Amino acid sequence: MDIRCVNSFISGLLNVTGMLGMTSMQRKGLSKRTKLRTDNDVNIIIGLVGDIRGSVVFSMQEATARNIASTMMGGMPVDKFDMMPKSALCELANMVSGNSVSLLEQQKALVNITPPTLINGKNMITMISQVETLVVEFEGQEGKIEMNVATED
Amino acid sequence: MEANARIVPFIKATSNVFKEMLDLTVSSGQTENEGDSFISRGVTVIVGFTGGWKGLFFLDMSQETAMKLATILTGEDYQSVADEEVLLSCAEVGNIISGNATTGVNNAQPGLNIRLTPPSVFVGEDMSIFNVRLSSWSLLMQTDIGAIKINVAVEEVKK
Repeated sequence: MDIRCVNSFISGLLNVTGMLGMTSMQRKGLSKRTKLRTDNDVNIIIGLVGDIRGSVVFSMQEATARNIASTMMGGMPVDKFDMMPKSALCELANMVSGNSVSLLEQQKALVNITPPTLINGKNMITMISQVETLVVEFEGQEGKIEMNVATED
Repeated sequence: MEANARIVPFIKATSNVFKEMLDLTVSSGQTENEGDSFISRGVTVIVGFTGGWKGLFFLDMSQETAMKLATILTGEDYQSVADEEVLLSCAEVGNIISGNATTGVNNAQPGLNIRLTPPSVFVGEDMSIFNVRLSSWSLLMQTDIGAIKINVAVEEVKK
């Protein structure tokens, strides 16, 4: 687990959410992921290839996802979790990863990212990249976001 | 290159790996354009790749099929798909198939330099998978342990 990577992703997420108007977003906890089951319905996964290899998964409840999409679209109410909020969330994940990767590049680590994929369902079990996963929690008016960072050494 | 030609190396790799590793023959149907989203059968393995091709490979199957697949690999019986060994087995199969496929493509077209991310596994009920701005092609394969779907979503990087 490369600590540079985690720090860059934390700053990346805060930068991007701030830029999109989610100014109340704050970092809460940092822990190691111990169980496979997740209570969150919405997961967006982005792969990392290059000097750092692994995946980052942004995971949240559907209500949080709708709130975030609504904020991103200038406060437009989002009642249904359809194409629109899904692509907004994917775009958010893409922006956060892009931002984080450029921060990593300043620290001489070249990383490429894969396009985002959004997976939503009920009673989900997830295993990310077969490696130890760090979970960083964020909380704001929109709700809680969990960022799972799984990188190989 | 035709968009659906991208799935061909993955089809070959899947049938090879299933034959060599699991001793299962697969019969396949027609490739199908799935657009930007599809509904999972229960267990989905995701492997991403970047380089000359940028995109994702999905291996999708039902929970029963995933457990049977793990049983073939480890020789043990499983009661629940949540068993870590089941998830690891599925991830490994996904990893080998995509590794196999991209090695073939990289050898045939030097300079593409496709690189893979480690596999991730998602299990759940009513799961839908959404790829933003990517159109994917899929192929349903029938095996003795059940149906397995492979799905490839690729955008070609412009040089």
